Formats: sequence, C-alpha cells, structure tokens
Amino acid sequence: MADEDETKEYRWESGYEKTWEAIKEDDDGLLESNVADLVARAKRKRAALKATGAIQLGMMRHLFVVVDASACMFLQDLKPTRFLCVLKLLEVFVHEFFDLNPISQLGILTTKMKRSEQITVLAGNQKKHIEALQQLKDLSCEGEPSLQNSLERAMNGLKNMPAHSSREILVLFGSLTTCDPGDIQKTIKALKDNNIRVSIIGLAAEVRICREIAKKTGGTYNVLIDDHHLKELILSQVQPPAVAGSIEASLVKMGFPGGTPSVNDGTSDSSADHAPAYCLCHIDSETSSLMGPNGYNCPQCGSRYCELPVECKQCGLTLVSAPHLARSYHHLFPIKPFIERAQVPNTTHCFACAKLFVEAETNVYECENCHQIVCLDCDLFIRETLHTCPGCASDPVTAQMKTN
Amino acid sequence: MKLNVDGLLVYFPYDYIYPEQFSYMLELKRALDAKGHCLLEMPSGTGKTTTLLSLIVAYMKAHPLDLTKLVYCSRTVPEIEKVMEELRKLMNYYEKEMGMEQNILGLALSSRKNLCIHPSVSKEREGKVVDGRCYSLTASFVRARHAADDAVPICEFYEGFDAHGKEFPLPPGVYNLDDLKEYGQTKRWCPYFLARHTITHANIVVYSYHYLLDPKIAEVVSKEISKSSVVVFDEAHNIDNVCIDSMSVKITKRLLDKCSNSITILETTISNMKENDSKRLEKEYKRLVEGLRDATIARETDMALVNPVLPSEILEEAVPGTIRTAEHFVAFLKRVVEYIKTRLRVQHVVQESPAGFLRDIHTKVCIDRKPLRFTAERLASLIRTLEISDLTDFSPLVTVSHFATLVSTYTKGFTIIIEPFEDRAPTVSNPILYFSCLDSSIAIKPVFNRFQTVVITSGTLSPLDMYPKILDFHPVIMTSFTMTLARPCILPMIVSKGNDQVAMSSRYETREDTAVIRNYGNLLVEVAAAVPDGIVCFFTSYLYLETIVSSWYDQGIIDQLQRHKLLFIETQDAAETSLALINYIKACDNGRGAVLLSVARGKVSEGIDFDHHLGRAVLMFGIPYVYTQSRILRARLEYLRDQFQIRENDFLTFDAMRHAAQCLGRCMRGKTDYGIMVLADKRFSRADKRSKLPKWIQEHLKDTNCNLSTEECVQICKRWLRQMAQPFSREDQLGISLLTLEQLQSEEMQKKIQQRAQGV
Repeated sequence: MADEDETKEYRWESGYEKTWEAIKEDDDGLLESNVADLVARAKRKRAALKATGAIQLGMMRHLFVVVDASACMFLQDLKPTRFLCVLKLLEVFVHEFFDLNPISQLGILTTKMKRSEQITVLAGNQKKHIEALQQLKDLSCEGEPSLQNSLERAMNGLKNMPAHSSREILVLFGSLTTCDPGDIQKTIKALKDNNIRVSIIGLAAEVRICREIAKKTGGTYNVLIDDHHLKELILSQVQPPAVAGSIEASLVKMGFPGGTPSVNDGTSDSSADHAPAYCLCHIDSETSSLMGPNGYNCPQCGSRYCELPVECKQCGLTLVSAPHLARSYHHLFPIKPFIERAQVPNTTHCFACAKLFVEAETNVYECENCHQIVCLDCDLFIRETLHTCPGCASDPVTAQMKTN
Repeated sequence: MKLNVDGLLVYFPYDYIYPEQFSYMLELKRALDAKGHCLLEMPSGTGKTTTLLSLIVAYMKAHPLDLTKLVYCSRTVPEIEKVMEELRKLMNYYEKEMGMEQNILGLALSSRKNLCIHPSVSKEREGKVVDGRCYSLTASFVRARHAADDAVPICEFYEGFDAHGKEFPLPPGVYNLDDLKEYGQTKRWCPYFLARHTITHANIVVYSYHYLLDPKIAEVVSKEISKSSVVVFDEAHNIDNVCIDSMSVKITKRLLDKCSNSITILETTISNMKENDSKRLEKEYKRLVEGLRDATIARETDMALVNPVLPSEILEEAVPGTIRTAEHFVAFLKRVVEYIKTRLRVQHVVQESPAGFLRDIHTKVCIDRKPLRFTAERLASLIRTLEISDLTDFSPLVTVSHFATLVSTYTKGFTIIIEPFEDRAPTVSNPILYFSCLDSSIAIKPVFNRFQTVVITSGTLSPLDMYPKILDFHPVIMTSFTMTLARPCILPMIVSKGNDQVAMSSRYETREDTAVIRNYGNLLVEVAAAVPDGIVCFFTSYLYLETIVSSWYDQGIIDQLQRHKLLFIETQDAAETSLALINYIKACDNGRGAVLLSVARGKVSEGIDFDHHLGRAVLMFGIPYVYTQSRILRARLEYLRDQFQIRENDFLTFDAMRHAAQCLGRCMRGKTDYGIMVLADKRFSRADKRSKLPKWIQEHLKDTNCNLSTEECVQICKRWLRQMAQPFSREDQLGISLLTLEQLQSEEMQKKIQQRAQGV
C-alpha cells in the first residue's frame, strides 16, 4: 500500500474539478464582470479576516514550530511532497515572522518515530532558523508522530519565558494519528496552566484531538484545502495574537545599540565601541571572523553583534533598533476596515492611486474617518502593507487627532 | 418558540427548528386528526423525539377529549432516559411560557431490575433473579403468611405502597427512573409498583416495546390503557422481529432436563401439602371448576406467570377435568415433557405445523388440545397454590407451558422445527425444538386494533411500503423525510472493485476468493490511512468476520492496518464487546485512532451511536443478507409468499438493506456531524438494492460514486474530508437547515415545506 502511494498521482486519478460551475454568465452573457467579482471577493475576504482589531496584542512572542516528520509526510498530495512543501513555506513564514515580530523568538522541533527532536532552540536569529530548515530537507520521514512528546518538549522550552511575553506553539500536523506515551489530557491541562497557546494546521483531515488541544489552549485549528490555502494558513500565524487577559503588563528593559561610527547618535561615543571585535553571533561557528567597525554593541556590556534584533549573549539584554519597534507598533492600532460601497457617483478616481474608476469596478471603499474613497487594490495595499490610511495622514485634522 | 402547525399552537422548546421537523409535525397532526396509524421516516439526529413530544403534548392540550394518553415505546433504557430528558425540557418550557405548573404527568417504566430500591434485592445483577426475589417478598400468599408469622420476610416498600400509595396519586411532573426511585425512597413506597399503578392515569408513559407487544407482559402492564391513546414506536425498523420473538419459543435438551427436576419438586411439594394442608388443594380444585376469571383478581404481584395468549376466551371456560387436580396436572406435565423429549430424539430435521404436532401428541400420548391450552394458566395457579416463592428455577417449566398453550391456540402463522444438530457442527448432537412465529402481525394486531393512532417511526424505514404489508395494517400517512443540510455532510459511495479491477462482493461464490478478501483488506487499509479518528466496519456475519480477519492476518493486512490505527473486534461475548467499545472510544478520544470490526445485526449495529469523531467512516463489507439456509427463515419466507404475496427475494433484500442502512446511519448523529459511508459490494449499485436505501442517503449518493475502485474512493474521501474540516458555524446553517421563527413563518419557506410534504 505504501508503494502505491509513493507513485506519482496522475491527473486522471484525482476527481473531476468542475471549474466551470463556479463561473456564471452575467445578463449580457459575458463572464468578465463575474470573474472580476470573484477575484475581488476572495481578496477582500482575506483582508477582512486580518482586520479584526484586537485590543492588546502580544508583541513579544515566543513560538515553537513543531513539524511533523512522520511517514505520512512523504505523501504527494502537496507538491513535491508534503514535507518539502511545508519546509519551503516555513522559510517564508520565518522570514515574515521576524519581519513583523522583530522582538520575538522562535524555535523549531520535529516529531517522528514517536519521538520529538529539537532542531533549533528558541532564538531571535532568523538566518539560523532558515539554515536549519534547509538542512531538514534531507531528513527521512518515518514512523508515527507524537503530539504529546513534542508539546511537552516545547512546553519545557516555553515555561520559563517571562510572563509578559506570549507563549505559543504552532504544529504542522500531517498525520491522522498520534502515538503518545501517556495521557495527553494532562499535557493539555499543563499547557493551559502555563498559558501556552497551541495552534495546529492539519494537512489531511480534521483530527479531533487537535481540535480539542487548540480549543482548550485558545489557539486555532485549521485544515488546508490545497497548497495556496496552506500558505495562507501558515502566514496567518505571523500576526501576533490577542493577549489572553491574564498576562500582566510590564516594563521590558531593552537596549538600543548605536549604529556605524559615522552616525553619532550619542548612545555610543567611546572609540572602543568601534574597535575591531569578534561578533558574538558567530563566535561558536568556524566562520567567525574579526569584525570591522561595523556592528552593534550592547549598551550594557559592550558585546558586538552583527545583526539586530538579538538577545545579548553576555547580559541577556534584548537589543533592538527603533525601526523594529515601530514596525510592530502598527499591530496595536490596526486601521479600521474600510466600508464597502457601491460606486459613488461624485468621485471619479481613487484617492490613493488616482486611478479612474471604470465600469467593471463594482465596489469602492471608504475610510470611516476621512471619508476618502479608494479602489480595491489600494484598500488591500493599505491593509496589508501600509498600515495607515493616506487620507487620514494627509488631512491635518485627523492626523492631529491620531497623534494625540 | 411557539409554532402554528396547521392551526394548532405548538410549544417547541428550542429557539431554532429544522424544516423537516416542521413537516414532520404537519404529517403527524394529519394522522392524529384522522385517528389513523402512520409510518414516518426521518433521519437520525434531526430531533425526532422532541418533535413527536411537542406536537403530541400540544395536541393533548388542545383536544383533551380526543387524545388522552401518549404511550412512547423505545428499545433500551438509555433511549428511554433520553426521551424523558426531552420531555422534561418541553415541560419546563411550557412552565416558563405559561407561568404555571402543568397538569401533565409523564413517567418511565422499566423492569424491576432498574427500579428496585429494596436494599438487598436491588443488589442482584440479573433481571430474572430480581423478579424472582421480588416475587418471593411480595406474592399475596407470602404476605398472608407474614400476617400470621412475623418471621417471614416481606418487602417494606411494597407494604408502604400497598398501604398508602394507591390513594395518593403521583403529583404532576416528569419522572424518569431515577426520579421514581428517589420519590420511592422519600415516601418509602416501591417505585416499580407505584409506576405500574400510575400508568393508568399518567398522561405520558415511556417504556419498552415489550410492555405492549409481548402478550405475556402486555396483559399485565398495559391492559388498562384507554383506546383514545396514541402509541409511538420509536426506532421501529425491527418491529417485525420483536413481534416474532415475543411469540416464539425455543426448547433445548437441557431445558427439558431442568423441567424434569422442577416437576419432581412439584410432586414432592404436592405430596407434602396433601399430608399437611389438603384443604388448600381442594379449594383450588373448586375454584378451577368455576373458571379462572376471579383467579386473576387482586393478584397484581403474581405477574411472573401469565398466559402467553390473550386469555379472554379461556377465562370464560372452566379448566378441563383432566388437569384439575394437582397430581393429574403434574402427571400431565410429565407426559408433555417426556413427549417433547422423544420428539427431540431425531436424526434428521423435522418441520411440521402446529396441527400436525397436536395430532401426533394425541396419537402418541393421548393429550387433547384443550388441556394443552390451559397449561400455562394451570401451572400458574398451581404454583400459587403451592406457595412456591422461588420462581427462578421454574422458568424452564414455564417456557414449556407457554409452548404448550401457544401451540394449541394458534394453528396458523406458526411452525415447529426440530433440528438434531447445528449446521455448523453436524456431528455434535444438540437437538433444539423451535416453535417459531412466522407472522409478525399476530403480536401487533391487538395494538393496532385497540389504539386510535399508532405511530411507527425510525431513521431507516425504507422501503416504506413493506411495513404495512408484513404488519398487516393500513396507515393513513406514510412519509419519508430527508435532511436539509447546509453542506453535504454524508458521503455515501459504492466501491465495487479493488485496484486490480477484481469485483468486490460477499456473494457466496466469491466469498472465499483470496482476491476479494485482499481487496477488502486493501480498501480498509487505505481508508484507515486517509480518515482520521474512528472507523467502524460491518461484516455480514460473525463467521465471515472471523474468516476474513484470519486471512488478513496471513496476508499481512492486519499489520499494515495497525500502523495507522488500533484494531478492535466485536465478538459474541457481550462483556468482551463492551470492553472493546470502551477502548475504542478511548483510542478515538486521545487521537490514536481506531478501527472497530463488527457485525451487522450485532449489538454494535443496533444500539450504539458513533457520533462525530467516533465514526468518521462506516464501511459495509458485503450485503448483510440474513443466513438464508436457516429453516426458520425459509419457513417464514414461504409464509410471507403465501399469505402476503411478498416474493422471497424482495423480503431478503428489504431485510438486508434495512440492516445496511442501520449500520450506515451509525455515523451520522446530527447536522454538525459528518461521515463517510462506504458500501463495499458490487451488488449495491443495482437498482433494486440502491432504491431500498433511505431517501436521505440516496439523495447524496451520486451516480458518479456508484462504481468506484479503491483508489478512486480514497481520493474522494481525502478531498471531501478537507472540505468538511473547514470551519462551520451555526450562521452557515441558519436559513437553510436551521430556522428561526421568523424564517419559518416567511412565505417562501412555508411554500417550500408545503411542496416537500406533497412531493413525497
């Protein structure tokens, strides 16, 4: 049976996809408006999902990603195989994750043969994770996974993280079974007690225990439909989740290392800061080399780092730069979703991109605050990338209001 | 919410209603209006019970003179409890809405075993033992003896009930078994007799089929239920078998040996009594001369022995002279038992009619028909007279007496089959006499005749027209409802061939074929790899299950299977099976996943629900035809053909398909549930089989899914499971398969419901 599954699935073996049924002709017998409508609706839906404004977000995240590496990950319903597909998407995820959550940390686990293995420890260095993911590609997938073992291991890693950070586990689970040494309910309870949120993405079908874990720990559980959907699901985990009420607010001590010597920003003025030194990021690896004056020094202990953000290895201070913080800032104030309107007669062009509205465009979008009208593409761009409304920003009154 | 069902105000205890529930109410109301019987099929998990209860209670409130009582018959104790819960919800809703106590009394009745609160008797595990011990504490003569001598133990709870319970009726409300017990405890009254007493004036009675269908019990328990009642048989797809079982008797060699022992005990007791208290025997003799009529008065506790036939005519007559005295009767019994023993000493199978049997018994041992008819009643009387309080040992003798009475009462619709050995072990002598009822309408006829409305309902009653035929009645309404669904949450498929294109079938000729068995195995392995959590498989018989599992073991299929899921097997041992079930549920709950191999017509296929993750897929290996070589079945088929013009093949297919539908329905227990149904036999795709599936399954069985190979089946499963795993909330259902009051009242929906009602 296993042999049969490893042979490639041919097009004629999968079922009929009645793609024509989704398309309907409009009154004139044309398809164009219909297709446009379909595309627009899909885009809008995705954007709307993200726009559920949470009040308090966990900006400092500690996340363990658990990748299933059991025998079923060799199945080819995702191309080229489930495992490779997931690894590739994870690379994108890691990149996006650190882009949006610069002061967060991430670790990777795999599970196979009823055991769980640590691939990378919790760390803020995205390069290391991506390298590890690339090496994983040669891993052979075999045996059954163990949810309990991997959750326990992740929990041990997360347990001692500070209380103000959000602790999360993301499981990419391809198997339909889990082979556990003990009672998984106890693990679930422990996870809950430790305020750890477990989100699971299933690659095959709904498994009840996964749903239960996600529900009890406050995470999400989703099952993919195809690889596009999987990408969407994985990337939806990039957004920081709303904080459960119990996490206390606290002040976090952070260091802002100075930049290059040419920039005198006052934080690092002694010439010793710019003396050649070993970069602490790479001090263990063979590739480590003496660094020139470029680099970031910890303002507390003076260690040199080649990259930010990072946690200082010497004194444990979190080192960030101001832009990083600013980037995670917009999560706290997501802009309100724009109101969808049928085309308004007195505006002829999009406020943002100045594109003229054409007949085919059925809907336009209006900001609640400044009442400017934008087109669909701009709406999505504003929501996904810009995170600020151009109308409000250019209007002195509303801009004033926002800063106050 | 408050509904207007064709002019009747119905209180419905939920905020939402399924469209088919509303249609169901419409049809049910029509049947009640017409005072006729009806046959309604509605898929499981669509809230049949609550629909039935709310409409009938509303009807009772609106027309208190036309409809006085609801008798709700269910199969098992848990089902009875479920009905009581729904009823309680409904009554609470009434109270909340009307703002006052409702004058409705509903109660559940079960056997002594479930209701006894006597400190030591209630500890017994076996129903028969509890009955026997209860009898030994509450029989009239025991109580009389107690009056004379305090050392004779009696049941204080029964005494309490007898002294006070009859004057004070149970206050209105809803009483399930536990409530009755609690009430009994506080008042120190026996809950069992309290419940039986209350049946006569309760508005709603919930109990098991047997209290109405089994004439042995019905006579005692349900005699006084008035004609203006409505009787509901829920889960009634097997009602014909229940009818037949209640009228059939099976006599083995061992049973006869025990009879001989009991007869010896009777003899010694009689001779003892003769020496000490001969007056009593004389009194009995006199009473028997007068007739049995007053023998039954004031003897409600002596119910363990009653005549299996409706004895109205017998009670009119005097007991024949030959069996009036105790010694004569015992000698008579001895002759009967000895005669049956000689009949069992055969080398080949004998089949004869009751008339032939009577002629033979007359010529061989000179026993007439008339005294035979009185056997059961006479034995009951004798045991009372002899004041034998331990009844448990006498049950074999009682069985024989039932047989004697039945065989001499009914000449039509029964047959006697004597098999010297089992078909499976032709060398081991194990003679059995079957007195088998062939006509299911005999037992249920009094019910149809007596009550104005009888509702027969279940999730699987297709094909509907078969039931009126085999039960011999004329329904005024016969309807099958489908399930309105917001998403296609069942996926029936007919898998007819393996990947090697060898046809899969449990046909007798190909059943041993290794290719077929291997293909079945591969199908299971592949489905197990694609479907999460629990999978239930049904085989046609235990024998087939065993042969298949052993060859799967040789072929290594079991090993492959265990890589994906744990494996559990139903056996004929009830304790083993329930242990397997507990562990099956555990394995499904903790995510390991499990496969349960079980048998159609077995315990699992009938009473146990595999909702949600417990049954994500059901596989039906082969068509569950009943064992066609059985002589009892052959006799019944012949009878059906001669009396009701039902072709043998039609009945066999009907029977097989209703069991298949039962098995398939196991996985679908509600609208949020979803499940795959795989019918793995080529023959399912034939029109005569397919068309006999319930409408709600047929509706989802697309033509493209009727002739699949294993590979195709698995592909479809995988895709469908992913779709089903997508988030699904109540909002998605609203307006389609779930309605609020406003939506229900909207004109459009009313039109749709009307259409549906007419369309069937």
